[in-house]
Amino acid sequence: MTAVELRSVSKSFGHHLVCRDVNLSVREGEFVTLLGSSGCGKTTTLNMIAGLEDASAGDILMNGQRVNDLSPVQRDVAMVFQNYALYPHMTVAQNIGFTLKMRKLAPTEIRTRVERVAQSLELSALLERLPAQLSGGQQQRVAIGRALVREPRVFLFDEPFSNLDAGLRVRMRVEVKELHQRLGVTSIFVTHDQEEAMSISDRIAVMNAGVVEQFGTPEEIYNQPATRYVASFIGSPRIELYAGTLEPGACRIGGVALPIGAMAAGDPEVEVGVRPEHVRLGDRGFPATVRLVQPVGPATHVTLDWEGGSLTASLPGFIRLTPGTAVKAEIDPDHLLVFDRKTGKRRAPQRPS
Amino acid sequence: MIILAAVLGYPILDSIALALQRVQLTGGEIQQSWVGVANFQRLFADATFQRAAANTAYFSVVEVVLVVGLSLGIAVLLNHPMGRFGIFRILLIVPWAIAPVANAVLWKWILHANYGVLNGILKSLGIIGYYHVWLGTPLSALNFLLLVDIWKSVPFVSLLILAGLQRVPNILYRAAYMDGAGRWQSFVHVTLPTIRSVIAIAVVLQTIWSLRVFDIVFVLTRGGPADATALLNFLAYRVTFNFLDLGYGSAIANVIFAVTMLLAILYVWLLWPRPRSAGAGTR
Amino acid sequence: MSFTRRQQGGPVVRTFIGIGLAVFVLWSAAPVVWLILSSLLEQQALISQPPDVSPAGFTLDNFIQVLYAAAALGRGIMNSAIVALFSTAVALALGAPAAYALARLPVPRANGVAFLILATQMLPGIAIAIPLFIAISRLGLIDSVFSLGVVYLSFNLPIVVWILRGFFQGIPVGIERAAAVDGAGVIATFWHIVLPISIPPMAAAAVFAFVEAWNEFFFALILTRQQAQTVPLVIAQFAGQYQTVFGQMMAAAVISVAPVIALAIVFRNQIVRGFADGMTKG
Repeated sequence: MTAVELRSVSKSFGHHLVCRDVNLSVREGEFVTLLGSSGCGKTTTLNMIAGLEDASAGDILMNGQRVNDLSPVQRDVAMVFQNYALYPHMTVAQNIGFTLKMRKLAPTEIRTRVERVAQSLELSALLERLPAQLSGGQQQRVAIGRALVREPRVFLFDEPFSNLDAGLRVRMRVEVKELHQRLGVTSIFVTHDQEEAMSISDRIAVMNAGVVEQFGTPEEIYNQPATRYVASFIGSPRIELYAGTLEPGACRIGGVALPIGAMAAGDPEVEVGVRPEHVRLGDRGFPATVRLVQPVGPATHVTLDWEGGSLTASLPGFIRLTPGTAVKAEIDPDHLLVFDRKTGKRRAPQRPS
Repeated sequence: MIILAAVLGYPILDSIALALQRVQLTGGEIQQSWVGVANFQRLFADATFQRAAANTAYFSVVEVVLVVGLSLGIAVLLNHPMGRFGIFRILLIVPWAIAPVANAVLWKWILHANYGVLNGILKSLGIIGYYHVWLGTPLSALNFLLLVDIWKSVPFVSLLILAGLQRVPNILYRAAYMDGAGRWQSFVHVTLPTIRSVIAIAVVLQTIWSLRVFDIVFVLTRGGPADATALLNFLAYRVTFNFLDLGYGSAIANVIFAVTMLLAILYVWLLWPRPRSAGAGTR
Repeated sequence: MSFTRRQQGGPVVRTFIGIGLAVFVLWSAAPVVWLILSSLLEQQALISQPPDVSPAGFTLDNFIQVLYAAAALGRGIMNSAIVALFSTAVALALGAPAAYALARLPVPRANGVAFLILATQMLPGIAIAIPLFIAISRLGLIDSVFSLGVVYLSFNLPIVVWILRGFFQGIPVGIERAAAVDGAGVIATFWHIVLPISIPPMAAAAVFAFVEAWNEFFFALILTRQQAQTVPLVIAQFAGQYQTVFGQMMAAAVISVAPVIALAIVFRNQIVRGFADGMTKG
């Protein structure tokens, strides 16, 4: 059952086209993330799903029904805002209960539901406090509680963790994922943090300049990026891209020919993508010089200079290398990503028939 | 050196204000005799004083209520997308800039018994049968005085409240919309609580300003008819400079001062940042 | 329904607001419009019942008469200008450093002083008028532009300090620290860094002070006789004297309020912001 569907949705503010022909289909109970950098249209898309913005064109459907003209309450969606948007003059209990009060529920009923939600979020001790008296993480949980108490059909998150410090962000991520596993409510999450998106989503929609470049599982996005943009957005350290020419059995970058599997036919002008974890140093491969060595704990990032430019390799464990050392680098041919230089789209490897 | 400038600036004021207060309490007339509290006693027995006090109380209370109420309404109007044009704000600042005296003179003309435009318009519209002497009867005079001052005061207070309204974070309205609040509910639950302090300040400021009203009384009515518009401020002036009873005038002035001081303390208490008590608001 | 659309409200709400705005404009503008109109109409037009506003009655006569015949008005304007400019300029010169000191330096009991500033704003003039009158007449300085200027200065100083202090407190400390690291002392920081960025609130404070001084009536009434009369006094006199020539009365009023209204319109945003900021930053 499709919980939320966007069909050819576009949005312009005046002459400025923010979202272009967005098509998304979210399944019931799925956790979908809209990922992209600022200005890519992800928040606008979320707002359209919420009912805070009108779509300029296209249809928004929930459970098969067209909801373009319905208000957020009528759509039965709840939202967690970036800046929490807690009512500063109301206590935690009043903040969480406000929406129920608007629905004219009986005070006793409101009290019960608020307490239940507070308990599930470990906020019971804070019910009579004001937002100003809470920490960032607590405020965020109240914001989640406010959305939770509505028991909505769809949960919307608008970059809820960007105002939190790194450690807290990771913890909140875990909480949200556990919450989703427990409750199974369809959720749509917006963020610019690719690691966040990868770790908590069932599927990710990578957006760029108002267009969805790819909509797939984290694995698909990572290993089979549809476009050059998706490949460079996902993955840390970033993928390295080089201009090259396809030759039979290899890809030529400058003077170096990298062995590569068979590719589908097409324009020989390509861009080649190399992920750091697929680079190996040894006694085979092309020559390179070590420029920088950065240990990060489980791995060491070694930045090399080679004929094609700069390359970062991610090698397991602590590697001792001094800058200036000459080495030989090899790239796993099965994991070379090849993109058409003109269109940016990935070239699929040819399957042996 | 800056400290010196600061320290210099202050005592100038302080000494003028405070030291002179001491001179006030001694009472006395042109002959400077010490009469002690006699002036104050006279004050509380004097019918004219009591009348003036009543008038002033009436004036201030009504003015504050009407000014703050109207200002709130205007501020809300101007906060709406339809009210966002600069011309409205220009209209708000102009009355503030007009001297109270000029305002009084203008209204004296508008309310003129024989040729005033108010009479002219009302009669042309058939609302009244003949030309009224608006400032001629006690109650009418006092209320029209109110009208004149309210007309001048409302704009600036509106600007203050508007500034407060615009400080309400827009995202709160969005959250309320998501929570299912209608327009009126958003206003009651989000807007009003947030501007509570601004309104409180407006109330106190306007009360203090109401107590200072002088120019319009001087120009329009001179306290008449039959002392109906003799507000305390004006009374003090009249007693001092027309009847030359400086002691008594000072006594009246001190009473006004005391009341205003209390209000000033109230104002400061409201403004001073302090941790909010838990459980604020209704439930 | 989009949020922005909801904010605008349906047709009913919009009609209401439209009506409200129209009423507001009428109520605010009508008296001012009448003021200007009256000053431009000749006596005959004004004293007909109701007043006759046809273009036939328009004339500049009122202004001419007022400007020629009443030397008092000219003197009044000059006195007001002197007094207002003097008190504003000196208030700024003294007040800016004072405000800075209060905002930044650890002056003892800074809050107490701030309270005092507030208190002086709240004072009804009458409270200090009488002793002031006694003191000034003893000094023989009644009817002097100078004494009026000083009195106004003591009113304007708190306003200036109030507005500027609020602003200074809002300046991020980082800028001043950077200046300190660059080797600037307190005075140099104030002069080179803080002042230049304070032009808008200073303009606001200046306009505020100027307008208050220009419009002030009570103390001018008490402390002047003939020579040092300011514009408000002259206007009040006209209202008493020229009881019958209404157009001239209005013309005089127009002349007296024109400069400050112009100032207020030009600086309206700064004025409100300066006052509001000073208000909320206690």
